[in-house]
Amino acid sequence: MIELRAIQRRYTSDEVETTALADINFSVSAGEFVAIMGPSGCGKSTLLNMLGTVDRPSAGQYLFEGRDLAREDETALAQFRARTLGFVFQSFNLIDELTIAENIELGLAYRRDGRGNRRQRVEAAMDRVGISHRARHYPHQLSGGQQQRAAIARAIVGDPKLILADEPTGNLDTENGAQVMGILDSLNRAGATIVMVTHSPAHADLVGRRIDMLDGRVVASVARQI
Amino acid sequence: MDRFALVAFWRSLTRHRLYAALNIGGLALGIAVFLVLGLYVRFETSYEKWLPGWQDLYLVGGAGTGAPEDAAHTQNSPVAAFTAIRADLPGTIGTRVESRDIAVVQNGVGVRERLASVDPDVFAVFRLSPVAGALPRSFRDPSQVVITARTAAKYFGSPAAALGGTLPVTSRGQQTNYRVVAVVPDLPDASELRFDLIAPMTYSESPADPAYKSNHQWNYNSVETFVRLPGQAAADRFAAALPALAARHVTNETPEVPDYRFAFNVRPIASRHFEAPGSRLMVATLGIIGFLTLLVAVVNYVNLATARAGLRAREVGMRKVLGADRATLMRHYLGEAVVTALVAAALGLALAELGVPLINASTGLTLSIRYVGADGVLLPLLLLALLVGLTAGLYPAIVLARVPAAAVLASARGPGGGRAGARVREGLVVFQFAVTIALIVGTAVLVAQTHHVRSADVGYDRQQLLLVRSYASASLDEAQRTDLLRRFAALPGARSAAAGTSVPGIGNYVSANTYEVPGVPGYGPSIEFYSVSQGYFETLRARLLAGRLLDPARPADRDPDLAQDGSNTNAPANVVINRAAARALHFASPAAAIGRTVGPAEGPRTIVGVIENMRVDSARRPVSPTLYLLSARTVKNGIAVIRFNGDPRAFLERAQAEWRSTVPRLPFDGYTAVQALDRLGKSDQQMANLFAIGSILAVGIGCVGLWGLASFTTARRTREIGVRKTLGATSNDVAKLLVGQFLRPVLLANVLAWPLAWLGMRTWLAGFDDRIALSPLFFVGAGALTLVIAIATVMSQSIRASRATPAWALRHE
Repeated sequence: MIELRAIQRRYTSDEVETTALADINFSVSAGEFVAIMGPSGCGKSTLLNMLGTVDRPSAGQYLFEGRDLAREDETALAQFRARTLGFVFQSFNLIDELTIAENIELGLAYRRDGRGNRRQRVEAAMDRVGISHRARHYPHQLSGGQQQRAAIARAIVGDPKLILADEPTGNLDTENGAQVMGILDSLNRAGATIVMVTHSPAHADLVGRRIDMLDGRVVASVARQI
Repeated sequence: MDRFALVAFWRSLTRHRLYAALNIGGLALGIAVFLVLGLYVRFETSYEKWLPGWQDLYLVGGAGTGAPEDAAHTQNSPVAAFTAIRADLPGTIGTRVESRDIAVVQNGVGVRERLASVDPDVFAVFRLSPVAGALPRSFRDPSQVVITARTAAKYFGSPAAALGGTLPVTSRGQQTNYRVVAVVPDLPDASELRFDLIAPMTYSESPADPAYKSNHQWNYNSVETFVRLPGQAAADRFAAALPALAARHVTNETPEVPDYRFAFNVRPIASRHFEAPGSRLMVATLGIIGFLTLLVAVVNYVNLATARAGLRAREVGMRKVLGADRATLMRHYLGEAVVTALVAAALGLALAELGVPLINASTGLTLSIRYVGADGVLLPLLLLALLVGLTAGLYPAIVLARVPAAAVLASARGPGGGRAGARVREGLVVFQFAVTIALIVGTAVLVAQTHHVRSADVGYDRQQLLLVRSYASASLDEAQRTDLLRRFAALPGARSAAAGTSVPGIGNYVSANTYEVPGVPGYGPSIEFYSVSQGYFETLRARLLAGRLLDPARPADRDPDLAQDGSNTNAPANVVINRAAARALHFASPAAAIGRTVGPAEGPRTIVGVIENMRVDSARRPVSPTLYLLSARTVKNGIAVIRFNGDPRAFLERAQAEWRSTVPRLPFDGYTAVQALDRLGKSDQQMANLFAIGSILAVGIGCVGLWGLASFTTARRTREIGVRKTLGATSNDVAKLLVGQFLRPVLLANVLAWPLAWLGMRTWLAGFDDRIALSPLFFVGAGALTLVIAIATVMSQSIRASRATPAWALRHE
């Protein structure tokens, strides 16, 4: 599904050039659940942003189902995100002014297709993460775990081909963290492809493959034996 | 904007009420000021445009260059001018209008109305549509009258009832019973034409008529001449034909001025309203203030929206991640701005509706808001709201749409457009303050000047001085005039009464001659001359600079000819002149003029006294060199002046009652000198009031914006404050830091505003003869005031932020 070829990302600011990603090569197949691990500043989030097309590589190729996304323009990428990707963040990033149901529906708002059965899809997504009873609440009225489940519902409401999760359990306690991992696992079992950045070795060990990064390079890629 | 955008926007408005109030309120106030001043500008520029075919209407003025007025500015013309036009340019459609006050006699009491005497083609020139009756194609019958709807309602109850009715009118001692043939609508406020009745002119072209001589004089301007010239080409041809016409018809009636030349001028009727010096500038200035106020409000929106962009960065990032592209986001935030502007426009319209009556009351204007139709405000307002929304929303939309999604979502650090964004904001704050400072300077200078005009020394005592204008009526005879002055002087509270042709606020009956100075070659300066009665100087409290006042006991002081018919005289006489005349006649000092004789050999004038200049006309005009002649008897065409004690209103009523019991058939027309002078400065006072209202609101909007900006910037820097305090900064240091950030733009704004304000106000003051000095205090004061306002607004925010505990501030995100 995904193939990264010699991806590089350099930042230039005030005449100082820093390399966030140096020559990244790896691929992800459809239906995989991949965890990316590594110390702070190793380039995990940059890599995830690259995969999510909110950041562009300085060099290299990003092929998604054979499409070279590194060459596409902003508008095409925006549609790509709207139709193909689901994002989950450490800090949830729910919009304060919208209710939970509205936040989730926002996951469909930028797709250029009909409005048909949006409501059902939103309800189905809320059911899957178990927050239907909070549909009319605002984000600040929910616990962290509930907020993250809502964020996951927003990510999956459009049936994305790929879910990108940036430390989804980072702001949660153990119990809520386990719950969120359970949801992601069941999504994966239902066929979703997931790439997750995490600091938690325990959570990384739960998934199908683990990629270790250091100083902007992939240093290991270990598949879990089942 | 999709549904979510609207919902989120609405909720963000209701959640951040203060922000919403600042934003919408500021914009609404800006729109209201723009609207009201726009109405004023439209009113001022709409003069005479109510007349059908106004584009083809012209006013023909003319004067000999020997006359005191500059021929180019004369709006009036001699009666003979139109006679000559008709003779030389046959087929010209035009009319003379001679407006004068007459008395409509009702139940034996005269009521003052304004009568326009016109030529037969009048209704082809002014295409009025009657509300009752039919307008005569050729208006010749001297017994017919056309009246306005107001006049019809006053004397007959309704326009229909007025048709065929009889209106008894007394004018110049003659009574005419007019028959009403048509009623026309009242003249709008935006018109220089003023009349209640229109009747045919009775000038005869027969040399046997006693009026024939004055009707053929070219040095006596008594009418306005209007012509209808279809198309620019016809107007150009007409103007080109006038010099030859003047050369053919005008004879030099003042042989003592051998280089006498009569010159015509032709002006479009719509430009007539702006004839007064500086009046066009004044209207333009107020229009600019309205625009600037709106601009300040727009700048506010931009400032607040970009300052708040940081708080919304997360939302923007999330929308991008969810697939919104830049164009979608731009549309979204522009949409927000347009919706805000629309809400603000609705609110602004409501504010304007509330404000218009107050403004009308404080300026004496009659502005009103119409919603639909040709002069409806709804459509322009809608367009304005769109324009304002798009202008105000553009920069914030660009900043927001540019937010890098990845960085924002990871770090929750807000963008504000970066360093360049801060520059833009600072630039906008500088602009806002520059406008504010310039407006404060302008307001201060305007208020100071108008106050100066109202309180300055005018060369006489303007307080407790009553003027009776109806005393000049030609219907009064010598005995009545003598009797009235005696009665006025005997009124309770009266100290003295006199009459003269030059009194405060009235520039009528201007006559001037050239007075040669012995020993100086040439014809000498042009000096206005007026006849005054005994006690005139004492009643006005004129100040004698040298010599003595005129004394009726000395035969040489009395003008023998004035005793006959009030006209110019050729006999020698003693006179009093003013300081300006002494200077114009090249006397080294007032004292040097005493005993000197000036003027032509056939009418020598010996100066026995010099008085201080008496400013009877507007402060904008220089005091004319003036010469006063003592009339041996009463002053024909003179206005009565009465010095009194006590309450002006009560005394005015007593004078009116006395008049009514003495000459009931003549309408009384009287007012105080203060009222007369205020009327002269009315348009300046109006401008000062409008300017002050606009400026105060603009300054208020600017302050509100600054306050909002300060609060958001301070909120954004909370974390920085925490760090600084952890590192040992005191609350004082932090407050200084935050205030300092706003000082630079304010100081910079002063540098920009001062030269502009100086230039603008110097130009405005140059229009006044009697004016205040443009003191540096105005500028320093405005700068200091804005500085205080800025510090006060920022201080309250800063103190709160600087007092916060570092731990709280550091946790604060």
